[in-house]
Amino acid sequence: PVPSKVTFNFYLPHEKPYSGAEVDMVLLPAVTGDFGVMPGHVPTAAQLRPGVLTVQEDDSTTKKFFVSSGFAFVHADSTTDVCAIEAFPVEELDKSTVEAGLADYTAKLASASAGGDDYEAAAAQIGVEVYS
Amino acid sequence: LKSNQETNERVARFNMSMRRATSLLSGRTQAVTALRELLGAPVAIEEVASSRSVSTLAIKQRMRSVGNIAKITSAMKMVAASKMRSAQSATEKCRGMQEPFLKMLGDLPLAAGEKNVTIPVTTDKGLCGGINTMICKYSRASMQIANPEGEQSMVILGEKGKAQLQRDQADKIVATIADTQKVRLTFPQACSIAEEVLKTEYDVARIVYNRFVSAIAQKPTIATVMSPDALEKEAEAGGGLDRYEIEGPGRAELLQNLAEFNLATSLYTAMLENNCSEQSSRMSAMENSTKNAGEMLGKLTLTYNRTRQASITTELIEIISGATALED
Repeated sequence: PVPSKVTFNFYLPHEKPYSGAEVDMVLLPAVTGDFGVMPGHVPTAAQLRPGVLTVQEDDSTTKKFFVSSGFAFVHADSTTDVCAIEAFPVEELDKSTVEAGLADYTAKLASASAGGDDYEAAAAQIGVEVYS
Repeated sequence: LKSNQETNERVARFNMSMRRATSLLSGRTQAVTALRELLGAPVAIEEVASSRSVSTLAIKQRMRSVGNIAKITSAMKMVAASKMRSAQSATEKCRGMQEPFLKMLGDLPLAAGEKNVTIPVTTDKGLCGGINTMICKYSRASMQIANPEGEQSMVILGEKGKAQLQRDQADKIVATIADTQKVRLTFPQACSIAEEVLKTEYDVARIVYNRFVSAIAQKPTIATVMSPDALEKEAEAGGGLDRYEIEGPGRAELLQNLAEFNLATSLYTAMLENNCSEQSSRMSAMENSTKNAGEMLGKLTLTYNRTRQASITTELIEIISGATALED
């Protein structure tokens, strides 16, 4: 029997923003692309990229969080667990800082892939992912 | 030989001084000085007092040191209690991160692998009860029970574990990490320790730590973390991982990231729980110590009083027998 709501657990090393909450849907930024979890979703294990996680608690309330990276698991009983390293509500992010960071890391990526070593290129790519 | 009258006078004078002596506590010294005057010896009151208290001096010193110990241990207990409260809240918050892995992969304490690494989590400071000894015992036991033929190595967290385990397991120790709790533990710190462990290229890692159950109970626990290859083997054998559809990069890469993340989370949780257990264990150890010091102080006080009273009684007997000798 498919449950009506998704039991959502959102765990960080230093706190638990959601624990056992009943929500309608969760949108996850996976490495392969965004996917949504609704009741009855097939059991999945996914790696998350830095991006926005959306929680639709019910028809009227939606909350968005920026997650640094982590893993998401959907279990057979429609329990969704998200383990992330850092997460903040998007309202707390400063737009101008984000845009400045994006420009900075895009430039670094361009210079690094041209002549720099792999580590710097990877670090710059992570920066671009985080800021975009 | 003196005349009877002189002797009577002296005895009368002495009797007067004895009456004063028995009515006042400090009259003791007056009685003794009176007797000494009678016998014509020079008197020094301090001399009298110090000769009586030589036997009680040793006990008094011991009482002072035991009292100081009681004060110190009581202070340590209060410090540990306050540290435990803040550690407790951090521990409860971090417990969530472990649950998804347990749900998905299950707990496999007997997982076998070619290379095993045991990670005992111990404290840097002492005076915390028996928790470190327990961890070392469990580490030795787990190395013998789970896959004794495989290669065993150890990464020790904490000075106390190193001190105990390097006596008989020195050949197995790969690395020791100390001073982990000097500043508040953060996840990146756990990640860097995880990197050290990953260097051993283990198949199965076992983290032995004290789980914080309550302020008086700390349970030694073993958390088993497997490498990607071992996970793959378990999955093929029909483990839980196979039921999950893998989204993301190739299965191998995801498994590797998953295993590393699992290791980092387990280490982080283990260190926080052990820290909390350390504070609660220290609190109860210091409380016992304070109680014992108090009991010891009570017994010493009784001995002190008895010794003091015995020496006073001896002096009185000397005085009285001296006086009776004079009368005869």
